[in-house]
Amino acid sequence: MMRKFTALGLMAGMLTLPALAQKKIEYKEFDLDNGLHVIMHQDNTTPIVVTSVLYHVGSKNEQPDRTGFAHFFEHLMFEGSPNIERGEYMNIIQARGGTLNAFTSSDITYYYELLPSNELELALYMESERMLQSKVDQTGVDTQREVVKEEKRQSYDNRPYGSLLIETLKRSYSEHPYNWAPIGSLDHLNAASIEEFQQFYKDFYVPNNATLTIAGDIDYAQTEEWVREYFSEIPKGTKEIYRPDVVEPKKTAEIRDVIYDNIQIPAVIQAYNLPKQTDPDSYALSMLSTYLTGGNSSLMTKELVDKQQIALAIAAIPLELEDGGVFIMYGIANMGVEPETLEKEIDKLIKQVQDEGISDQDFAKLQNIIENNLVSGNSSMAGIAQNLAESHVIFGDTDYINQQMEIYGKVTKADLQRVAKKYLDLTGRVVLYYLPKSAETTE
Amino acid sequence: MKKIAIAFILTLLVSVGSFAQVDRSKLPESGPAPEIKIGEAETFTLENGLKVFVVKNDKLPRVSFTLVLERDPLFEGDKAGLTGFVGQMMMAGTDSRTKEQLDEEIDFIGASLSAGSTSISASSLKKHQDKVLELMADVLYNPKFPQEELDKLQKQTLTGLATSKDDPNAISGRLSSALVYGKEHPYGEVETEESVMNVKLADIKSYYETFFKPNIAYMAIVGDMDKAEAEKVVKKYFGKWEKGDVPSFEYNDPTPTTKTMVGLVDRSSSVQTVIDIAQPIDLTLGDEDYIASRVLNQIFGGGSSSRLFMNLREDKGYTYGAYSSLAADKLVGQFSANASVRTDVTDSAVVEFIYEINKLVDEGVTQEELEKAKASLAGSFGRSLESPATIANFALNIERYGLPKDYYETYLQKMNALTVEDINQTAKNLINPDNLYITAVGNASEIKDKLAQFGEVIMYDNMGFPAKEMAAVDADMTVEKVIDNYIEAIGGKSAASAIKAAKVTMVAEIMGQQLTIEQVFDNANMRYMQNTLVGGNVMQSSVIKDGKGLVKVRGQSMDMTDEQMDASKMETYYLPELYYGTMGYTLKLDGIKDVEGTPAYKVIVTTPLGATVSNYYSVESGLKIKNENPVSGDTFYTDYQEKNGVMIPMAMTIKSAMIPVPLEAKVTNLELNPVLTEEDFN
Repeated sequence: MMRKFTALGLMAGMLTLPALAQKKIEYKEFDLDNGLHVIMHQDNTTPIVVTSVLYHVGSKNEQPDRTGFAHFFEHLMFEGSPNIERGEYMNIIQARGGTLNAFTSSDITYYYELLPSNELELALYMESERMLQSKVDQTGVDTQREVVKEEKRQSYDNRPYGSLLIETLKRSYSEHPYNWAPIGSLDHLNAASIEEFQQFYKDFYVPNNATLTIAGDIDYAQTEEWVREYFSEIPKGTKEIYRPDVVEPKKTAEIRDVIYDNIQIPAVIQAYNLPKQTDPDSYALSMLSTYLTGGNSSLMTKELVDKQQIALAIAAIPLELEDGGVFIMYGIANMGVEPETLEKEIDKLIKQVQDEGISDQDFAKLQNIIENNLVSGNSSMAGIAQNLAESHVIFGDTDYINQQMEIYGKVTKADLQRVAKKYLDLTGRVVLYYLPKSAETTE
Repeated sequence: MKKIAIAFILTLLVSVGSFAQVDRSKLPESGPAPEIKIGEAETFTLENGLKVFVVKNDKLPRVSFTLVLERDPLFEGDKAGLTGFVGQMMMAGTDSRTKEQLDEEIDFIGASLSAGSTSISASSLKKHQDKVLELMADVLYNPKFPQEELDKLQKQTLTGLATSKDDPNAISGRLSSALVYGKEHPYGEVETEESVMNVKLADIKSYYETFFKPNIAYMAIVGDMDKAEAEKVVKKYFGKWEKGDVPSFEYNDPTPTTKTMVGLVDRSSSVQTVIDIAQPIDLTLGDEDYIASRVLNQIFGGGSSSRLFMNLREDKGYTYGAYSSLAADKLVGQFSANASVRTDVTDSAVVEFIYEINKLVDEGVTQEELEKAKASLAGSFGRSLESPATIANFALNIERYGLPKDYYETYLQKMNALTVEDINQTAKNLINPDNLYITAVGNASEIKDKLAQFGEVIMYDNMGFPAKEMAAVDADMTVEKVIDNYIEAIGGKSAASAIKAAKVTMVAEIMGQQLTIEQVFDNANMRYMQNTLVGGNVMQSSVIKDGKGLVKVRGQSMDMTDEQMDASKMETYYLPELYYGTMGYTLKLDGIKDVEGTPAYKVIVTTPLGATVSNYYSVESGLKIKNENPVSGDTFYTDYQEKNGVMIPMAMTIKSAMIPVPLEAKVTNLELNPVLTEEDFN
């Protein structure tokens, strides 16, 4: 989820490469008295409209004994309101020809509807009902707890390497609440009282913690009028929003562990702590990950998958987070290859980048690939809406969407080598081996 | 002062007015349906006949070029599979670029370039358009067609074919096509090992020279390019493309069945039945019924709120999903309703399908269903317009199907004007409930008799050909005789019983790695050992001795459960048929079956705890030619050779859900009655 998020974040418009006339993304924004921030982007090419609300609450805003709340709300918030029958939220949207979805990360919770443009008022009504008076009752909690249980089973317990994020975060953070993944603990959800859920809603689902984005075939004046009609009466939150102020201490020793899972083929995971998402080095790190494993001609894929054939697959993913995420590298071993062998070869290639940097030819190719990906990323209204919202919330400036290309253009070949040395620090990392459960029995 | 106050109050009133509480008790009404602005494609034609569509969209600095050949469908006959090779062969290098060079040049500019038998597509950032066009033109004009690439593709295709022969969905698709279109129709023919290997380099070259002609080609250009520029670049890169005569082909319409029939493929290891109920339909894009058919299908089986899904999944719980389609095609279209269901509800599921089909044609749809389907289809139509490629596609369709210029412009209006009566008429026009092909792929011994209620049941093989007629089992044939015949065929009881122990090494290749299976059998002491090695490393080993079983994976071991022991014991005898009696197994003769063309007696063996395997013994030779094991999959035995007076299979093909491709294993070492030590079982 976050990868996609990050990638979209990058794609806004980038690189100062001379021949490229990246179109500026125009938008209008305003604030309501209750603190709701509203961003509008008009594009009348297609008669569709995306309406999204980004709540600035993720798993990092949870209490350590109540993890999973933010993600649980992503489900609970479809239970309806005094005016929307239980379970009808999705049916209403679909019956008007739309689709919807939502996701939760460590930092944010994001809801969106994609509808024909003559249904904008409906979308605003639905989102305003959610913000004003969403149903938070025992029946809803009980129903959604079962759904989340099923989701956890499907996406984490039964999926090969499904616990990867949970196990990695647990070891990558000793102090910061990034220690737990958004799925959280079912025990915590079971233990929580209905009042606690209601309090969470009152604390975080308030207009002063939300960004409403409307992108597509809209009329600016009409849109603003409807927004004011539906959202102005929602009261501002009374408490200060809880945001953890914790600095994760730098690790000085490697953390190494073995996870036994329902898998057939061993995997090697390495995780390196990253700077804050807004740190300039984030761009070089993102490019570095593309250099290492992006596409068939990338360094590690070419060497470990094609040439040596010791890995079935390999990927480097910079999981970028507000307070500093993790650079996760995972390799799945080929049949009969020991994880130790694979890890040694991965380390060798990291070392190679740190010592020798990368060639001019490869850097040029890398720039071309990234540029192409970034440009293509702003091709949908849904992508633009999310990008605008994130620019405002995470980077504190909606216009950031138009600046990314320039920032990317400043990354040099030397930066890639420098960040490889600075952040891919072998002594302060987390290393996990995923081994088949059958290997555990006599241990 | 007063004036000001009044103005102030007025302002206040106005602002209060505009913030008056909205009525939240009811949903906002839809606004007036938006005008669908389908950007028009501009068009021009080169002297050589290449017709070009330009859809300018400069939101992003990207441009794509798609070349499409409009030729009649081809009946490939004894070279079925030919067209599947053309695209990759064209991408395998040109006169001036090796495949590696071509790949690198594409990657370097972050572009994409691919080809098929009737298309070449390229896309890149605007600034790289000249480079990508140069590469595209090189592929179009100068493909090299290297023999080694064809060899590689043929090998890959054979592997894929082997896999698809055991894939129930692939089998179902072949059977439906064979019945609906007939084997002599381009849509009904199948690739076989023979036809794939029959394709020669000269065939590919000849195809290329015949069909890659500008006078049957369309090019769609979508992105940051206007018509003037398009004319310039198309002329530059495709102006010298020479036209030529392209043959056309006609085919007879398939003759539909006169009454509903059942086509069945026996796949006895199946726990699910793949059901597909199909018939040919006369439906082409642009037909009077076309838009109504989209609505009809949406109501019937287009999604998770459609009738089939609600009935077979939500109400009955027979399946994870049940869907339908009404495919339109210039030659002949197809109606299909399908689901994968549990074996024991196969006939009940067919009953529900038939019920729904009859109900649809007889009683039609409701106003509410119609409204929902319209909203859903209008929504997805609108969303599809976000991609500029959709506009290019519309322009191509208008040209290829001779549609009115405003066909898509007015598509939603036409759809919204449809009434319940229109949809009901379309259902009657397209679907005939009395002459359906009901196809099923599943465990025939469980479902064949139950399917007879729907029509005559005809057996087919896994390639969609009528199954060889299997003689009925002679009245005096018994399961004991099958086993006795087998023992006789391998050399007689005394020679077979003389083999008390054996060491076997088999070697196969999997994903480029060598896989070795080592087995040691010790009948007298009921001991057994098996090691599986990949690339020289022991991946897994099993040992049975002293009445206990142990499985080791990566050096860690685990005891077998009673059930596992019970099932494994059956596999531990080198020639288990000699011991079926003493082990207390139950044997059942289940008729004569077709094993890859060889008639064979099927014997179901059941252990005391209820585990079963099935063995197939050739009717003619008496030899065991196949074993079906629910855990390890299907094993086919071939290359029987005489060793110590006993016929032993020296080659095996193993098919299992656990491995992606069939494993071809050869016995590389065989020691009969070797001296065994404790070490052999550690």
